[in-house]
Amino acid sequence: MPFERVLMKHVGVPNSTSLAVYQADGGYTGAARALRMKPDELVELVKQANLRGRGGAGFPAGLKWSFLPKDRKITYLCVNADESEPPTFCNRVLIDHDPHMLLEGILIAGYATRTTVAYIYLRGEFMEQFHVLQRALDEAYAAGYFGRNILGSGYDLECYIHRGAGAYICGEETGLIESLEGKRGWPRIKPPFPAVEGLFRQPTVVNNVETLACLPHLLTRGLEWWLGLGTANSKGPKMYCISGPVNRPGCYEAPLGITCRELIYGDDFGGGMRGGKKVKAVFPGGLSMGVLRGDLFPRAPAGTIDPRQDYDELDCVLDFDDVRKYDLLGLGTAAAVVVPEDADMRDVLVNVARFYALESCGQCTHCREGTTWMYKIAQRMRAGAGRLLDLDLLVEISQNMGMMPGMSICGLPDGAAWPVRTAVQKFRREFERRIAEQEPEAARRWTREVNRAAYELPVLQGRETTYVGGTFYQPP
Amino acid sequence: MPKIIIDGREIECRAGIPVLQAALEAGLAVPHYCYHPGLSIVASCRLCLMEMKLPHPQTRELVWAPKLFPSCQTPVQDGMEVRFDSAAVRDNQKHVMEYYLLNHPLDCPVCDKAGECYLQDYTEAHGPGSSRMVEDKQKNPKKDIGPHTLLYQDRCVLCSRCVRFCDEIAGTGELAVVNRGSRGEIDVFPGRPLDNPLQGNVVDLCPVGALLDKDFLFKQRVWLLRSTKSVSPADSGGQTIWIDSNEQGIHRIRPRYNERVNEWWISDEARFGWKYVHRPDRLNRPQVREAGTMRPARWEELPTLLRSRFAEMTPGASLAEGALGPSPDTALKGRGIAAVLSPMMSCEEAWLLARFVRDVAPQATLVLGHVPVVGEDQTFPKGFTIKAEKCPNRRGVETILRHLGGHTADFRTFLGQAVERRFDAAYIVGGYPDVWVTPDVADALAKVEFLVVHDLFPSRLNERAAVQIPGATWAEREGTFMNCDGLLQPFERAIVPPEGVKSDGQFVYELAGRSGLFHARKVRDEMAAEMPQFAEVFVPRELPKHAH
Repeated sequence: MPFERVLMKHVGVPNSTSLAVYQADGGYTGAARALRMKPDELVELVKQANLRGRGGAGFPAGLKWSFLPKDRKITYLCVNADESEPPTFCNRVLIDHDPHMLLEGILIAGYATRTTVAYIYLRGEFMEQFHVLQRALDEAYAAGYFGRNILGSGYDLECYIHRGAGAYICGEETGLIESLEGKRGWPRIKPPFPAVEGLFRQPTVVNNVETLACLPHLLTRGLEWWLGLGTANSKGPKMYCISGPVNRPGCYEAPLGITCRELIYGDDFGGGMRGGKKVKAVFPGGLSMGVLRGDLFPRAPAGTIDPRQDYDELDCVLDFDDVRKYDLLGLGTAAAVVVPEDADMRDVLVNVARFYALESCGQCTHCREGTTWMYKIAQRMRAGAGRLLDLDLLVEISQNMGMMPGMSICGLPDGAAWPVRTAVQKFRREFERRIAEQEPEAARRWTREVNRAAYELPVLQGRETTYVGGTFYQPP
Repeated sequence: MPKIIIDGREIECRAGIPVLQAALEAGLAVPHYCYHPGLSIVASCRLCLMEMKLPHPQTRELVWAPKLFPSCQTPVQDGMEVRFDSAAVRDNQKHVMEYYLLNHPLDCPVCDKAGECYLQDYTEAHGPGSSRMVEDKQKNPKKDIGPHTLLYQDRCVLCSRCVRFCDEIAGTGELAVVNRGSRGEIDVFPGRPLDNPLQGNVVDLCPVGALLDKDFLFKQRVWLLRSTKSVSPADSGGQTIWIDSNEQGIHRIRPRYNERVNEWWISDEARFGWKYVHRPDRLNRPQVREAGTMRPARWEELPTLLRSRFAEMTPGASLAEGALGPSPDTALKGRGIAAVLSPMMSCEEAWLLARFVRDVAPQATLVLGHVPVVGEDQTFPKGFTIKAEKCPNRRGVETILRHLGGHTADFRTFLGQAVERRFDAAYIVGGYPDVWVTPDVADALAKVEFLVVHDLFPSRLNERAAVQIPGATWAEREGTFMNCDGLLQPFERAIVPPEGVKSDGQFVYELAGRSGLFHARKVRDEMAAEMPQFAEVFVPRELPKHAH
């Protein structure tokens, strides 16, 4: 039986962002059904469905909700729409084409957690999506899906959209909360966890857009349908993104548990590589989760998975568990980016390292200094002045930053270290070959280039400071 | 009291404190930057990470958890076991120290902080010997962030202590971290320099050489400085301080931890208010008026002179109304004599002088000197208060006057009486850093025939004084101050008085007819026999260097 798309069912439908179209297709019946249940029954249902968070970490949503203190007076729901993980765009597709699905999910989650105010933290760059979502929200308010006494159930829920200012770190739940409170988006130390003390020091639930969008379908189609999708520990539909030189880059929906090879070569998905090239590497879960070797490498003997050997790893099943066997941090956002055979891994490494050097918030020392150091090393290697010991150094820095997830305030250093370490370890032979092929002349040129690169990183204030000598302060 | 095990050693500690604080109090030199007991916890420097025993997920048996935990963020729990003495912890410290020095300019030879810099100390103790970064360092400019403070951004470790201080303690929030990641830097907002009454504390708080005091910049290497325990005379709160001096010169003043008054902080008044000690125009020799002109006097002749002149003074002769008239009643002897005890004096000095005057003239009037008050008490968010009363010992002098009883007056009444020519002789003690002899004070005192002026600086009283005695500043004396809440705190002598000046305590000791050296401690013991308030002094707990 072919899989029927649910999350993306309105993609391509004309006028799909309007309430009329959404309602015509059974929209908000899930919410109506939810409002007739007790909140605790809903939490139980989501727990049974084992709905794991789609934001990256895969934490079970029902469990998260059950951490809320029983005697709470106020609960906030924050919707994490700060989709900044490269190269991820599934939330954007969802909001672009079906904002009401998200709003219905918010209503259901809000009711289940007895939330009175929900905030949608929308990525700053999502200007168009903001207008789409705001229009949809206005429509939903007008139709009585938000506000006071929703659908006659006596439940009140207010919902606001807040736009971020373009920081990756604000997609981390406590960074998001801080930013929502109007502060610098620096993740908070935990405990206390947001479920106990989050937004405005009140119990708070933070859920991803896609997680919430799953809820209406779980309610309308039932637990059985849900549990029929996916693999052992990863249930339900999932939106996969694929980008890079494939024939059909884009966002596709599939039950959890397709393989990476299917995602690239499947006719329903990526449709194979452009020009018949081979895959050298693929980052299957957003950059932070690490890298897999592509089919440029020989197939592994049947039944073996050994990330230490140079085997083709495209058979990795993209669910929450199997990825770990391939030395990946997790499923992440399930957004794959494909690196073709003719790309230079040194360029890939520079791009990866640059992103985290830019986006590290600067609180924890490892992450603040380590990300930039890795970027500088990667720059130098690309400039043709690499040393063999740089490879070991990169591995050491990344192990120190994220050897054991959870040693820093947030997960960013783990996410920054993982792709660098896996790239260096899995493609070590290529790096070694590139270093061996370096022309001696290049090594002399690198200083200037690297230094310029370090200063290319944008700053808001201060670098060309006019304060030296005190332009604003004149000594008496 | 919970008991925890650190490195196999059982330690009893206060409930609710972080493990790091417990370790520091137990004497363990755990490296840390961002943690400060007076500020909120951010757990960002990642230098204090420790290993902790947790129940195994399956067997529930206590085992060392595979990751490291920030000890500043983990509260102590009874029976918990942690360790800092392990390979993983040391490895982390080594890496973090290497990160700190990646972009550091290593300019210790010209850095003011060298010698008391925790970047130096920790690198020495925990860091690697060299850096493996071959790329160029990021350079960051020096910034002028306010009237008193410079920021050397490239030395900064971004512990954000200064930012939190301005937000939480001063409540002014001038500082912020701008930019992300390794480009992050501390900065002020355009047009709003760091300028609040507590701002100097950010320099002490800074564990490295990033924030520096313009006043102290390039003045001294810190290892040449001698630190003396003292109490600030800047206000009546009794902020405890360290006076850092070298070769009889004060170079800076730092806060001294005091759990009952100022905690870790001091006001800028206390910090920068010492400049008058080294003013060149200080009085530096005693003078006596003879036939209308002042002649230099020897210190040795003064006690006899003063004692005999005061004793000679007979009451009534010059009283305007003549109401009392000459009387054989010895009880009235000395009615026309007054001693003005300055609230800048220490308790011991005030007591000795008061006793001397009452000894010579039992009916003498004792006066609490001018109490300078500026504005109102200024209280900051976490409770730090700058007192409006700008003298250290009003309460101590008052206590002594109350104890001695008899004729006492406040300064205004005294001036009024002086105008009425009720006093033949008066001993005036000043010692204020600022001008305190206003024209009306001078005019009133001009009516006193025999005026003894014991002060720091020349004033309008110069031409009226019969005897002029140079005083010493608090840094050149020892004794105790009683703060406005009645807390008695001792201070020690940091430097010797300028040449020609005798410290006030020694002089009044000799004036009181005693021989030998003045020891505040001995005098205080005498006082305590009469006044229980002086039986006990409060000396705050001294913080070890590793608990910064």
